[in-house]
Amino acid sequence: MENNYVIEAHGIWKKYKGFQLDIPELKIPKGFATALIGENGAGKTTLLSIIAGILLQYRGEIRYFDKYTDKDRENIPDVKELMGYTASGSYYVAHWKLKEVEKISSVLFKGFHRERFRQWCREMEVGAAGWDPKQKVSSLSDGNRMKLMIAGVLARDTKLLVMDEPASPLDPVMRDRLCGIIREYLAEDEGQRSIFFSTHNIADMENVTDYAIIMERGKIVEQGFVEDLKEKYLLVKGDAADAEKVRDGLFTCDCGQYGFEGICLSENLDKLAGFQVSTERPSLTQISVAVMKHFSKVAKG
Amino acid sequence: MRIMQNSGEPIYQQIADQFKTDILAGKYKQGEYLPSIRGLAKELKISVITTMKAYEQLEAEGLVTAAQGKGFYVNAQDSEMLREQHLRKVEDSLTEAMAAAEIAGMGDRELMEMLETLLSIRKNE
Repeated sequence: MENNYVIEAHGIWKKYKGFQLDIPELKIPKGFATALIGENGAGKTTLLSIIAGILLQYRGEIRYFDKYTDKDRENIPDVKELMGYTASGSYYVAHWKLKEVEKISSVLFKGFHRERFRQWCREMEVGAAGWDPKQKVSSLSDGNRMKLMIAGVLARDTKLLVMDEPASPLDPVMRDRLCGIIREYLAEDEGQRSIFFSTHNIADMENVTDYAIIMERGKIVEQGFVEDLKEKYLLVKGDAADAEKVRDGLFTCDCGQYGFEGICLSENLDKLAGFQVSTERPSLTQISVAVMKHFSKVAKG
Repeated sequence: MRIMQNSGEPIYQQIADQFKTDILAGKYKQGEYLPSIRGLAKELKISVITTMKAYEQLEAEGLVTAAQGKGFYVNAQDSEMLREQHLRKVEDSLTEAMAAAEIAGMGDRELMEMLETLLSIRKNE
């Protein structure tokens, strides 16, 4: 496994009324797509905004590209040039026309390629015309606004994309295209480009997720390369009659009339010895849901 | 290369097995590089880490070597090891046939006869 990181952060801390983000350490592997997973209100958007330099009031230190500090991010243009950020809403002003989006983007970023921006708008069909310079941002649907932001970051020469819920507003065909875009982005500069995105659509994004970070109530509760997580956890199924007896050996357990299904730590599989159970490799969705359920139960006591 | 998403067999295993078959069949020559990890992930529509795990497994089996920053290249295949691999494959297939024969209620003699018949058919072809 490569062990260099595109982002390394320490002691990230941010407090709102009734919410606290507390991340002692965060490492995003370089050359991979990392998914940030968590329930609503877990702090995903807050964390991504801090990384992207949108939210400036926080405690902690962030290191970018193994080179720059978060102070550099505000002082050296290179850092923001190398990073592309898409928000979960839209950051373009509603009354802007597409030509203004293009113009302002090229003022903000010297590495913004106008022609490439138009090409992406056409390819992803932002609005009915694909590229209509007179089209207003306010006339675009949520999905099209997301495509517009994606076109905006792809039009630049970046090494890191930070994307907040890019899949959510997109239709299934476009989500599939987004996965393709992510893979193309990573493949274009083998090992040098990274993506950090949040998502609720774990299943749709599973085949493009290399590293997963699961958050619960402002904290990271689990993380790892997906292939390693799939070995750490097991999906277990068995008879309803045994459900109560095996419950303690399981990480999570759902019991129904016809049997139980749960996630078990592989190292605890011996606790199920003597019971009729079958095991399977879990999907990332199953692991994530189990981890979130487990830790929200722990938090509630 | 064909990848089955729902076959129950991990995708990295499917990829490793197919490369292994190709390498042992000589489709990849000694010193030849496998496709880049991220390029293959893109082609197969799977994650980078899955491709990487497949390559790491091939490396652990001694079939390929990782070159820092350049990818994975195919090792010289030891002819002794090659034969060993093929013998294991024959053994596995025969074991599978024996299990099927048992389910079908075939006796040992009947099974041997079938194998002999198949061998003679192939000889006459």
